[in-house]
Amino acid sequence: MMSGIVKRPISRRNFLKLSGAATAGAVVGSRSGILHALVPKSSVAKQGRIDKRFSICDMCFNKCGLIARVDEHGVVTKLDPNPKFRKSRGMLCARGNAGIKQLYDPDRLKYPLLRKGERGQGKWQRLTWEQALDLAAEKMQRIAETYTRCGMLFMAGSDLQSTFVHHFAEVFGSYNVISHESNCLLSRNRAFLDTFGEVPFADLLNCKYVIMAGANRFEALVTPDSIDIVTAMQNGCKLVVLDPRYTKTAALAHEWHSIRPGTDMAFFLAIAHVLVSETLYNKAFITEKTSGFDKLAEHIKPYTPEWAEKECEIPSKDIRRIAREMAKAAPAAIVYPGRRSSDYKNSTQIRRSFAIVNALLGNWDKKGGLTVAGKVGLSSPELPEAPFYEDNPEERVDAGRAKMMFDEEGSFKHTRDAVIEGKPYPIKGWFTYKTNPMQTGANREKTVEMIRKLDFMVTVDIAMSDTAWMADLVLPAPSYLERKDPISALQGVSAGACVITRDPVVPAMFDSKPVNWIVSELAKRLDLGEFFDFTMDSYRKAQVKNLPDAMKAINKDGVYYNKSKLYGRYEGKVFKTLSKKIELFSQRYEQTGLDPIPVYTPPKSVPEGRFRIVVGRNAYITQGSSTNNELLAELVPENRLWLHPDPALKLGIRQGDTVEVASTVGKERLKVRITEEIRKDTVYMDSGFGAMSKGLSNVYGKGACIAAVLEDHSDDISGNMAMHETMVAVRKI
Amino acid sequence: MNTKRYGILINTTKCFDCKACMVACKVENRVPKGYWRNWVKNTGGAVGKRTHFQPGQCMQCNEPSCVAACPVQATYKQKDGLVVIDPTSCIGCGNCVTACPYGARYRDPVRRIADKCDFCRHRLIRGEEPACVETCPTRARVFGDLNDPASTVSKQIKSEKVIRVINPRINTEPNIFYLAGTQPLGWPEEPRLPGNVYMPKSFWKTY
Amino acid sequence: MFNRISSILLIIFLVAGTVSIGIAAGKAGGNARKGKYLYRKNCRECHKEGASAKDLSPADKTQAEWETLFAKGAHKSYQCAAEWDKRSEKDLKDIFSYMYDHAFDSPSPAKCK
Repeated sequence: MMSGIVKRPISRRNFLKLSGAATAGAVVGSRSGILHALVPKSSVAKQGRIDKRFSICDMCFNKCGLIARVDEHGVVTKLDPNPKFRKSRGMLCARGNAGIKQLYDPDRLKYPLLRKGERGQGKWQRLTWEQALDLAAEKMQRIAETYTRCGMLFMAGSDLQSTFVHHFAEVFGSYNVISHESNCLLSRNRAFLDTFGEVPFADLLNCKYVIMAGANRFEALVTPDSIDIVTAMQNGCKLVVLDPRYTKTAALAHEWHSIRPGTDMAFFLAIAHVLVSETLYNKAFITEKTSGFDKLAEHIKPYTPEWAEKECEIPSKDIRRIAREMAKAAPAAIVYPGRRSSDYKNSTQIRRSFAIVNALLGNWDKKGGLTVAGKVGLSSPELPEAPFYEDNPEERVDAGRAKMMFDEEGSFKHTRDAVIEGKPYPIKGWFTYKTNPMQTGANREKTVEMIRKLDFMVTVDIAMSDTAWMADLVLPAPSYLERKDPISALQGVSAGACVITRDPVVPAMFDSKPVNWIVSELAKRLDLGEFFDFTMDSYRKAQVKNLPDAMKAINKDGVYYNKSKLYGRYEGKVFKTLSKKIELFSQRYEQTGLDPIPVYTPPKSVPEGRFRIVVGRNAYITQGSSTNNELLAELVPENRLWLHPDPALKLGIRQGDTVEVASTVGKERLKVRITEEIRKDTVYMDSGFGAMSKGLSNVYGKGACIAAVLEDHSDDISGNMAMHETMVAVRKI
Repeated sequence: MNTKRYGILINTTKCFDCKACMVACKVENRVPKGYWRNWVKNTGGAVGKRTHFQPGQCMQCNEPSCVAACPVQATYKQKDGLVVIDPTSCIGCGNCVTACPYGARYRDPVRRIADKCDFCRHRLIRGEEPACVETCPTRARVFGDLNDPASTVSKQIKSEKVIRVINPRINTEPNIFYLAGTQPLGWPEEPRLPGNVYMPKSFWKTY
Repeated sequence: MFNRISSILLIIFLVAGTVSIGIAAGKAGGNARKGKYLYRKNCRECHKEGASAKDLSPADKTQAEWETLFAKGAHKSYQCAAEWDKRSEKDLKDIFSYMYDHAFDSPSPAKCK
């Protein structure tokens, strides 16, 4: 291809071409001279030796297997799917492919940073690790002595190394450990746990009828669900979507209903009514496996489809028809449990109605129904027992603020309130790892207020997220492609449960250090070194002591599958409930003074001239991992406010105008997207935009941040954030 | 006579616009910022009507108008059916870019020559499929040699109802096929060819 | 004899009273976190995989079962009765709280660790 003798006069183009430099610029942002030097010129046409190395994607929580291609210069040139990885059906989505732009993001955190100047000013001083760790340990020790060990709050995201943060929190002695889960799916977990004794997975692949209420699987990707539902639909499965927004999932479904926001419970109670009154449920299943049927039958008598139509704005004849269709397809019929349930103040009870309908369909532990987590067989390494600190308070700081919180999870909203109030006891330190509550915790002003109450905040992250931007000490962690992680189990529904881990594809860049090293170094400085007396290798060895074939399979295929049956796992077993059966009527709720069967309350009505704001995501920019990614930002540079043409006309707003969306807790500005894909009384915004951190140069200031506008209501029972209860005003700027 | 004829069959009923194919291609082929070698078109907007998504890229046509438009023969069809660009000969005039009915080409601002999808030729040499095919979550794409009747893609094209997405006026005989029912249709544009370029009469359907 | 009967009745009453007080207090009334520490320090040595007694974690039994196991005097018949006797009332209450709060059918079942 390349001629040896250049016949034409040397032009700049030819010169660049001959030196091979031309193609390199496209790989890495050419802002940073350092990075440019790190990426030698490799042209696509001539490919030298390529090393293939396994890893697990971290661009979202799904953890799909991948094979990284590393060239002879040690540069990762491409991330390919791992064909043996069944959970992802051997594929990698847009974010997974864009992972190299996280690895080679010039904006990444490179060395420890200490805040100088005011919070949010963005003035930092570079520290050595020695200095940073000494400082952090000293601060934490001071807090422990002045405010007890519970004076430190720990928040770790969904990550294979978060277990070490939790271990550190335990030996440090703080009960105040939270995670992003209480801004996401805790109320769903609560409802399904309280009904079935366990949180199930939906076997979409083999299902014949699926109702998705709010879940947007073609944009909020979950593996294997998002892929399996397509296969199922090709095989005749019917998909019904209830959503106030005409999402891609709604657009590809067989049937879509623009349900009035907050009325899902009415819909499902009415479905239950039809199933019971027309005796469309599996009698044997109900008798054998459930308790409280008679009470349920009595309770749902008034919840007729005709009644429900007035509430949810879905015709009663459709409700009846859907119920009958579901019954016909049962047990391969599912009310999809969904994931994020952080919507309404009664989100747990709403999901209880989902769970009850599933129970009536008799789909538990069956092919095409709700399946349970598979056994994996990993062991917990034996570590020395954590000490007990006598001066500690008895409880978590957020205890008692919700009626039935998960003891280990607590509630971000309630914890934040407690920190601001200083009651029942003060919290003065915050350690965050791979979590971004400044973006995800509704009512951002409150998060700022909370941070101002702290003596010390340390954030471990790979990018200068909005949360890191507000911290006192920012510690750089390596990306997933540079890490050695412990072994972890991963559920895959019909793909089976598997065992995964990560080994570095390339060495850690700059001065980044993984969080397991960070917490063990802190532990040493706090006289807790004995609790971290292990290496990653020895830890892993202990984890797989009962799985002798695991490491070999992981090294060969990038994943290990422990064969276990997918269905019928509950044969001969009792349910983990008080009645030992599926509780249509929840005994525990009755004991605790909660409605044992969901009682419908209508959502707040939308005031005249205002809108209910609902949030969600697209398939490209999802969580913190995918923010500031050069490739993904090109697909969606900013979010827009979805507004229906009719109210837009009344407000004098035209396509592409900049609007201000305002609630009682904040206002944001962004461009508008006028579309009929949203209801007239509702507006919508993607999450993950409106970054206030100048350390995210690709996305800083683009779009708007949902957390700045959302009021922080919460679910009564689980303490889960309730993000769809906020009413906003919209005006043209 | 071509020895092979690489082609792709796409089942757009399985596509939900995740854009994995677009990002995989961009990374695999070092496509510069602001440009893409492939796309996903959609019929979007009509609330209540099913939206169709339709991925596409250079169709490696049998009668490529881009090849006809090139003044220096820098682009040509190979024996394996791929329409390729010789980066040393291309003078970056841009004629081929406007000649393509599909808008599959672009002028690379870094290298200052024309560029487009080449079915990941460097991967084919290694015995791998194009990046877009490999990464697709729903396996909506089937890749193979259309000249080989035993290949999966040939068999499927024979057994299913397939169509080509072509402009009503001209047919460059693209080698990307779609299962019938795909939308949108009729979107390819008429090639804009330089005045002195000769195209065979058969190329113009309504001539 | 009357004294004997009345003292038996008294004992039954006390036992029932203790158990029902436990339930009425909701979360068993003790310090569950201290209970976790005490359990691991004192009981886990034997009650773990590969050791002399059954591998026991809170989620291995229902709340009702833990109540029975921790009823006053119930431990006298256990192999480790001597260990139980070494613990104070408060300690036992704390350990019970830990087990009860994270039992098989509790609102926060212990995850297999």
